[in-house]
Amino acid sequence: MATMIEENGPSTHVCFPLLSSPSQARQKLEGLLNKNMRIRMTDGRTLVGLFLCTDRDCNVILGSAQEFLKSTDTFSQGEPRVLGLAMIPGHHVVSIEVEAESLEDDQGFEGNH
Amino acid sequence: MVMKSAVEDDDSGWGLGIPEKMKSNANWVDITHEFKGACKELNLGELLHDKLFGLFEAMSAIEMMDPKMDAGMIGNQVNRKVLNFEQAIKEGAIKVKDLSLPELIGIIDTCFCCLITWLEGHSLAQTVFTCLYVHNPDLIEEPALKAFALGILKVCDIAREKVNKAAVFEEEDFQAMTYGFKMANNVTDLRVTGMLKDVEDELQRKVKSTRSRQGEQRNPEVELEHQQCLALFNRIKFTRLLLTALITFTKKETSSVCEAQKLVAQAADLLSPIHSSIQHGIQSQNDTTKGDHPIMMGFEPLVNQRLLPPTFPRYAKIIKREDMVAYFSKLIERIKALCDVTNTTNLHGILDFFCEFSEQSPCVLSRSLLQTTFLIDNKKVFGTHLMQDMIKDALRYFVSPPVLSYKCCLFNNHQAKDYIDSFVSHCSRPFCSLIQIHGHNRARQRDKLGHILEEFATLQDEAEKVDAALHSLLMKLEPQRQHLTCLGTWILYHNLRIMIQYLLSGFELELYSMHEYYYIYWYLSEFLYAWLMSTLSRADSSQIAEERILEEQLKGRSAQFFFTKKQNKNVSLIKFRPLSKEITMSQAYQNMCAGMYKTMVALDMDGKVRKPQFELDSEQVRYEHRFAPFNSVVTPPPVHYIQFKEMSDLKKYNPPPGSADLYLAASKHFQQAKLILENVPSPDPEVNRILKVAKPNIVVMKLLAGGHKKETKVLPEFDFSAHKYFPVVKII
Repeated sequence: MATMIEENGPSTHVCFPLLSSPSQARQKLEGLLNKNMRIRMTDGRTLVGLFLCTDRDCNVILGSAQEFLKSTDTFSQGEPRVLGLAMIPGHHVVSIEVEAESLEDDQGFEGNH
Repeated sequence: MVMKSAVEDDDSGWGLGIPEKMKSNANWVDITHEFKGACKELNLGELLHDKLFGLFEAMSAIEMMDPKMDAGMIGNQVNRKVLNFEQAIKEGAIKVKDLSLPELIGIIDTCFCCLITWLEGHSLAQTVFTCLYVHNPDLIEEPALKAFALGILKVCDIAREKVNKAAVFEEEDFQAMTYGFKMANNVTDLRVTGMLKDVEDELQRKVKSTRSRQGEQRNPEVELEHQQCLALFNRIKFTRLLLTALITFTKKETSSVCEAQKLVAQAADLLSPIHSSIQHGIQSQNDTTKGDHPIMMGFEPLVNQRLLPPTFPRYAKIIKREDMVAYFSKLIERIKALCDVTNTTNLHGILDFFCEFSEQSPCVLSRSLLQTTFLIDNKKVFGTHLMQDMIKDALRYFVSPPVLSYKCCLFNNHQAKDYIDSFVSHCSRPFCSLIQIHGHNRARQRDKLGHILEEFATLQDEAEKVDAALHSLLMKLEPQRQHLTCLGTWILYHNLRIMIQYLLSGFELELYSMHEYYYIYWYLSEFLYAWLMSTLSRADSSQIAEERILEEQLKGRSAQFFFTKKQNKNVSLIKFRPLSKEITMSQAYQNMCAGMYKTMVALDMDGKVRKPQFELDSEQVRYEHRFAPFNSVVTPPPVHYIQFKEMSDLKKYNPPPGSADLYLAASKHFQQAKLILENVPSPDPEVNRILKVAKPNIVVMKLLAGGHKKETKVLPEFDFSAHKYFPVVKII
């Protein structure tokens, strides 16, 4: 599987590492992989799921995602809808949150600042 | 930079929807800014991902905010409150009593439309259950509406059960999910039909009381009420008849099928008055311009949006009321037609019935009803005949094998009985599946026919062994008789029929390209139909041999009837042969295929067949793919590409024929087909359909042979409108 990805993203190897920041950013993001993430979308819905994948345009793939409607909606609010694997296009991402506990477990994001 | 969102006030709102286990550690940290910043550092095209997650997995993700994939999106963009039944009652958005007649008529008609849309393959949640009333009929106080809601639920429930039981549907045909809705299971079928009948009687009284009397000044209001009552009465009665018919189908007795046929015929009589009274019902307040669903009291198209799985056909377009009656009348026609299957007693006849029924591409409900009528729960055909007996009858009808003849010593021989019984019981399942295959939709049938050939190849092998064993037994007991290739011939006949159907259906489904036609038609004419005809004539001669023996026996026994017997013998020689029609038709088909084959070769010679640029494949690859399912069959052996090329090589003729010769030969084949078909006594529609292709092709081929438009570079057209399998060739 890993080889297949490398074939699809050859620029990783070709690019010249000008700054240290790109790899630092990468490390940051890698630290978030498989963490529970909550993403709010432009239409007000929120998805909660495991962070699996992202790219330069901030398109995010969540695993085992659940969909929650906006809080103002009174109807069918109780139960989330199970979506499974879901990709949120970057331009529809309004906010991203990560679960704090899992963050602390292995000195995640803040540590890098 | 880091914000603890737990302190934000809107978080309480989020918490509401989050399950307990998440709520317990709901310390969410906002990282939007950092995340987006970090993403920007990635290279174009680079994916940041876990080792265990790759592009392959990513492919199956649904894309949010894409209206084609995101079912949750639609519900979120509508600017009205989506209410469920209880909420709608509470808010007064929906009436549960004192509904006006136009309201009732409108609601019922819309429900009918939903029912039809469901039968056409959409989900219940997006069709019938967009009607809030059926969510909980107990809350309805209006008796007519309550009875109707229960009735429609029962119709759905029985239809669903039938379709599930028949198992001749695929995801594109039917959605069986009920999404946890109750299908009126707490009320018996009898109670529901009773309620409908009560409502009907009540309405009939109103219809009578508002009817115009002689010499009375007609009040237009009364007249309108009369019309509306009548409209409602017809709809309730139609629902009851449809439901009763479906209930009747679940009964085990064969006579119940006739009863069901009568019931649907009665229902059909109501369709015309229903059609003419559609305008009495309230219409939806149309807001469809914005792509939104029409809004109607009692209906909320989005009420179940969140019940749908993430990847789902998002939008079920409910059919128009104007089309509703036409659909129902076609459905009833199909149901009436399928009931006739019980008049057919021969297995071959039944198989033909299924083939013919399937040719009109019937809906999933009628296909399923036909299946469940054929094989009732007790695994008996029409609930009365054992499949094994049907198979024995079919064998007797087709090849008259000595082992199944009452006049043969094998008939009462234990060993022979064991052989034949075990063979017949092994045949039972493949033949049931063959009939089931014909219940599937046309496209799926082809695929399944390709697979069932494997089972028939096994049967073929067994049939040959049983034939040999029975023959050696018979040689000891009655040396003057033979038992060679009887059962084998019968299985081979079915093998060939399946293979032919498999190839021909490719034309119907438009799978073949023009440059492939020539080897498909070659395979059919030179190989499959040739085999089929020799198989049929072998069966025919086996029948004749058996009849002779019977006659000899009779003659020897009663000498005093010698004179009359002699007369009978003459009669039997010119007597109608059961297989003659099929032999004739096969000859006609073979000539049609041969004509098409030669046409294609000649057109190719004249450079009038566009061929693909073979890069990664070749003609051989395509050929082998087209005939791949035949590799599992031993008899007839598959013709491999190399063999085909050798057999069809024109250089073996001296001198090799040119395109003109081939056009002429094709014309002769079409001519021959025409001759054969015109001599068929009592021609059926199929005969006329083939003639419609043969006649113009004779002329076109003659013209082409004479060099007509030889120089034109325009490709010929193949018009399959007259016949599914044979085109009219058009030179432009």
